[in-house]
Amino acid sequence: MADKELTTYKKQELTGNELTRPGRTYVPDVDIYETADSLWLRADMPGVDEQSIEINVNDGVLSIEGQVEVKDYENLMPVYTEYNVGNYARRFTLANTIDAERISARMKNGVLELELPKAEKAKPRRIAISAN
Amino acid sequence: MALIRFAPRFNPIDALLSLQHELDRVFESPTQGFDLGLSGRGVFPPTNVFSDKDGYIVRMEVPGVAPESLAIEGQGRTLTISGKRETPAPEGASFHRHERSSGEFSRSLQLSTDLDLTKAEATCKHGMLTVRIPKKEEAKPRQIEIKAA
Repeated sequence: MADKELTTYKKQELTGNELTRPGRTYVPDVDIYETADSLWLRADMPGVDEQSIEINVNDGVLSIEGQVEVKDYENLMPVYTEYNVGNYARRFTLANTIDAERISARMKNGVLELELPKAEKAKPRRIAISAN
Repeated sequence: MALIRFAPRFNPIDALLSLQHELDRVFESPTQGFDLGLSGRGVFPPTNVFSDKDGYIVRMEVPGVAPESLAIEGQGRTLTISGKRETPAPEGASFHRHERSSGEFSRSLQLSTDLDLTKAEATCKHGMLTVRIPKKEEAKPRQIEIKAA
């Protein structure tokens, strides 16, 4: 069976909100998956230093933002380009099953990983059948 | 062929915007990378090639790729970069969204003969791979001084 080749597509620009700083902002690709205890989110943010990441939860909306370092490109003349460089931002509405106080984050190899633990009452509970 | 280049001026206020315009301009230019023979346009990882006075810089966005899994090979004039990207999830997890693809990748490009591939250096930081290929000594521009008459 032939292996499917990884492909890229043009980065999607963030539309809707205008930001005060000039420059296009892109929407990072994310994976969201759920385990019994938490919701996990992984966002591709290559070129972003963890110091410039901002994660906020406001009114049940989770927003993640990251900024790239433009100085890495100083004095470089582009010869061939496939991707553009820009900051990343994305927003998600959280269900109230998430305990926003205990959200934790880490950054590895340009991927932002968030753990969104489920609130106690939302965890699946097994009900045992008691012998009569 | 006359080479008129717009040199990006790094005004701190809109440095990002001018970089983005410059990258867009090259993206739309008809002669883009015609001599590079870069394989698989549109295939992961997205690659940009830059030049400065010392040589060429190849940048690839490789988020989620462990630097240990990257193999960067230089042979003759060809630079080949290959690796594997994984998006692991624990057993029994159910996906709500899966936008990040995973798999193996390999891309190669032909560099011009005035670059010295044996002296190339690579760094991988924050999911961004940067390979610097310096020019050969004899290809570096020589400064010609004006002698006092």
